[in-house]
Amino acid sequence: MAGWFSRRQFLINAGLAGLALKSPSLFANTSGTPSLSPIMRQIPGANESIPAIGMGTWITFNVGGDEQLVAQRTRVLKTFFDLGGTVVDGSPMYGTAADVIGEALDSLDAHDRIFAATKIWTGDESETRQEAARSGRRWGLDQFDLLQVHNLLGWQGHLETLKQMKANGEVRYIGITTSHGRRHREFAQIMEREPLDFVQLTYNVLDREVENRLLPLAQERGIGVIVNRPFQGGSLFRRFQSEPLPGWAGEAGISNWAEFFLKFIISHPAVTCAIPATSKVEHMKENMGALYGALPDADQRQRMADYVRSL
Amino acid sequence: MSGADWLSYSLQDFVMFGPQVFLRLFVRINQDLWPWQVLAVVAAIGIPVLLFRQGRNARCFAVGLMVVAWVASGYGFLVGYFGPINWPAAWFGWAFVAQGGLLATAMLFGGVHGGALSSGRFVAPWLIVVCGLPWLAVAESGQWQALALFGIAPGTTAAAGALIVAVITGPWRWLYLPLLVLWSLFSAAMFWVLQTSWLLVTPVATLLLVGAGFWLSPRPARSLD
Repeated sequence: MAGWFSRRQFLINAGLAGLALKSPSLFANTSGTPSLSPIMRQIPGANESIPAIGMGTWITFNVGGDEQLVAQRTRVLKTFFDLGGTVVDGSPMYGTAADVIGEALDSLDAHDRIFAATKIWTGDESETRQEAARSGRRWGLDQFDLLQVHNLLGWQGHLETLKQMKANGEVRYIGITTSHGRRHREFAQIMEREPLDFVQLTYNVLDREVENRLLPLAQERGIGVIVNRPFQGGSLFRRFQSEPLPGWAGEAGISNWAEFFLKFIISHPAVTCAIPATSKVEHMKENMGALYGALPDADQRQRMADYVRSL
Repeated sequence: MSGADWLSYSLQDFVMFGPQVFLRLFVRINQDLWPWQVLAVVAAIGIPVLLFRQGRNARCFAVGLMVVAWVASGYGFLVGYFGPINWPAAWFGWAFVAQGGLLATAMLFGGVHGGALSSGRFVAPWLIVVCGLPWLAVAESGQWQALALFGIAPGTTAAAGALIVAVITGPWRWLYLPLLVLWSLFSAAMFWVLQTSWLLVTPVATLLLVGAGFWLSPRPARSLD
């Protein structure tokens, strides 16, 4: 897998180098420190790092057989890869999103640039392998990097099979997911006793309950954390986009609201990766801006939370 | 999942697509069908003409066109275009097909009466539905290709189909009602989440037209049957 990763890293760096020549403003140094390298996070317990900003596909990639929109989403995915992204997260629950990702990967010939994460979403606990295989066919992949039990649906049976699959080398990492703050007590219990590589949960500047228990537990247990709903389903933009950024935002490496929300998340030491979703190339560029530059420190994070509450 | 878990979901969590993708469905089906939309327009205008012609055959032909409209919009739009991005839509699509089957069965087994209808009171709302509602998708999307025509788009078809309650007799009309109500509630909830406020007019109109259909139906004492 080391060779595979090196190739991916080469592609990322090659893309970044080309991009830096064309878009110097993207890499504008606001903090006085070198900022060309993407912010990478080590997967706990593994000799592998992933970019701290990934991509979700909920709603945005469910476009059915609309060729015009498939081509447009392909451009979004291309922008994501060009700006150094690798982690793409999906689920069989998301309608045609898996097919659209597969079509886009084919168009971009980018199967080796992706850290592919999907979920097992079926109440039939004997269907784990079949569901993973079906998703693999839709994405056009032989195997996924990460398989997660979606919203704890049938988690006991699925997790047992996923552990076997990992032992057999059929998947590299396994995990569980929740969203919207659901079933956190049960989620914590599973984190305490199961050998998970990743958990996926909702965390953003307003939904911070996970700071109390789940994020410290992930650190303690050496579990990677993927953060969904970083923009609270877009409502953070609707609420705050018309407001000015705080005057000190530049000091924290922040130049727009997308970076504000995302850097708040990925600056938490327990967080491995945030997975914002978008259907627009321009928004993808803004999101990927959070992958570069300085990150807010603990004091600045507190000021960010206070500022949002004050608006 | 427990009941509390289900309650933690919002309506928004069940709508897995955005407004742009939904409105593009109208554009795509119109592009794919062109120029056969002309037949749908002819049917939309022809139904009231046939309903008010003398003779049972003309009325049966009108109802037959409504049957085709239910089946075509259900199988074509809902199953073929909308279903892939929203699985409940495919179920509704098959329910539209069944609604067409129900109406055909009612027609064959005496469930469609030959009683006189007030032409003005029927034709005015019918024309408003088939000529006015299609433009709501255009207003919402800003693309005239998104015209939601009767017999192609399920919302316009259901709204017009609600008026057909006026020619269905007693027990059949109660079997005909549930889909109209369920579809209206489903589509209203969906448009609410998508924030496509123009489109909300269609399900509201459908529910009002169900009432209009009952009101327009001749009383038994006045029936010519």
